[in-house]
Amino acid sequence: MGSACFWFLNFYHFVLPLAISINDWNLLCRISVTFVDKDGDETVINVPIGMSMLEAAHENDIELEGACEGSLACSTCHVIVTDVDYYNKLEDPEDEENDMLDLAFGLTETSRLGCQVIASPELDGIRLALPAATRNFAVDGHVPKPH
Amino acid sequence: LAAEEEDDSITIKGVRISGRPLYLDMQATTPVDPRVLDAMLPFYLSRYGNPHSRTHLYGWESDAAVEEARARVARLIGADPREIFFTSGATECNNIAVKGVMHFYRDRRRHVITTQTEHKCVLDSCRYLQQEGFEVTYLPVRPDGLIDVAQLADAIRPDTGLVSVMAVNNEIGVVQPLEEIGRICREKGVPFHTDAAQALGKIPIDVNQMGIGLMSLSAHKIYGPKGVGALYLRRRPRIRVEPQMSGGGQERGIRSGTVPTPIVVGFGAACEIAAKEMDYDERRVSALQQRLLDGIRSKVDDVVINGSMEHRYAGNLNLSFAYVEGESLLMGLKEVAVSSGSACTSASLEPSYVLRALGVDEDMAHTSIRFGIGRFTTEEEVDRATELTVHQVLKLREMSPLYEMAKAGIDIKSIQWSQH
Repeated sequence: MGSACFWFLNFYHFVLPLAISINDWNLLCRISVTFVDKDGDETVINVPIGMSMLEAAHENDIELEGACEGSLACSTCHVIVTDVDYYNKLEDPEDEENDMLDLAFGLTETSRLGCQVIASPELDGIRLALPAATRNFAVDGHVPKPH
Repeated sequence: LAAEEEDDSITIKGVRISGRPLYLDMQATTPVDPRVLDAMLPFYLSRYGNPHSRTHLYGWESDAAVEEARARVARLIGADPREIFFTSGATECNNIAVKGVMHFYRDRRRHVITTQTEHKCVLDSCRYLQQEGFEVTYLPVRPDGLIDVAQLADAIRPDTGLVSVMAVNNEIGVVQPLEEIGRICREKGVPFHTDAAQALGKIPIDVNQMGIGLMSLSAHKIYGPKGVGALYLRRRPRIRVEPQMSGGGQERGIRSGTVPTPIVVGFGAACEIAAKEMDYDERRVSALQQRLLDGIRSKVDDVVINGSMEHRYAGNLNLSFAYVEGESLLMGLKEVAVSSGSACTSASLEPSYVLRALGVDEDMAHTSIRFGIGRFTTEEEVDRATELTVHQVLKLREMSPLYEMAKAGIDIKSIQWSQH
């Protein structure tokens, strides 16, 4: 057991840092995503590869409602990809996603549903803008808590 | 030809006519087919639910009827039912298509191409866009009414967001080369919109073969009820529009507002009948058009047909009678309901801009008469209309000094008219 600790400590402290810097280690399994809310305030978060933007937003307390919890039955996780280059890196939306996007408030040419945008290495640095409102008619400013 | 029995005569606007006129104005509107009315009535009297009510039978059966009508409209044009959105008519569809598409893509697309012979709602929407800072190219047409497809291809720019060319013109009846236009638009990646209000159910339309991205449809031109139309909006590649009507998100957010079940059902029924009877109607209407034309031309000379004869929908015949003034011709044709130019232009004082685009002189434009033949027009009606028209034209020509001079060999255009 002692030798295992010795080798582990050696590996972690000496070999691993030589092989990969902390930043690269992050990139191997996490990317950086910036959420811009309707007032222009930015929040930068780290999203593990394979997680959807909706889940990542919920984990970081960003105000993105996902009423149907990612089952393509609503448009409340609507996000706008601010850079058209990043938008083009995403795969084309399926018909079902497009159908729900049609109903989204403030739809733009680079809009996607947050639950369908999955983090992958080439999306590192992507900026997602939150639309001013959703299909919910809470004109008094009420925001439902994430389910 | 004077008014007969007193009891049958009608006096309106200071004119007495013996009975209701013969209806030969099918481009303005059409009578509702009795079969369509049969389909509509239950939805007024007993199955009157709101199709968006999700909680009871009235809503469910109303919704089922709307979806059935949607499928019937889609079948007639070769589309998927999910691509059909019901509106209040072709004017609303044209507004959504022109303004909606350009507003949605306003950041990257600033240019629209259309023709000079479009319906007023398309031209007015384009003018509205011009006020907002978009650029619009109004393509001229050849004297036969068709656009030059090469000219269209040249006019397309990288920032062109829409090409709008109507399928069948309402005033002169010419049919534009939709497949060629669709092919060019597809190659250049520009959405192709066509106003098919006069074309639906009369010429075969296939949205995929013709590369059509958006299409405006109207019910009351194909023996359906007035007040309803439909917009075809392609799903693949998806074309997005900014809605003109904000509200509860009905019709997938494209057109909010309760869908009017009875008239939508009527539209569906009209489309189904049109699909079955298009060929038969086309043969009958062509024969009647030939009969009308031959009947008039055999007795009257100097008759000009406005628009191409080859690329034409047979039910629309626009004729100009030289040396005769149009208004007085119409006054004498009180027993035949026809139109001079189009219904929407007869309210204003300007002569027809469509005829001007064809290069028709103003005097000939003023004397044009549009005969509209349809499913319910009979041979007797055509014969009587021919008789009345010929009589009136000959009478007016007898009185016309211009006709006398033309017959004497004087070139009217060389005359210097003095001002008083």
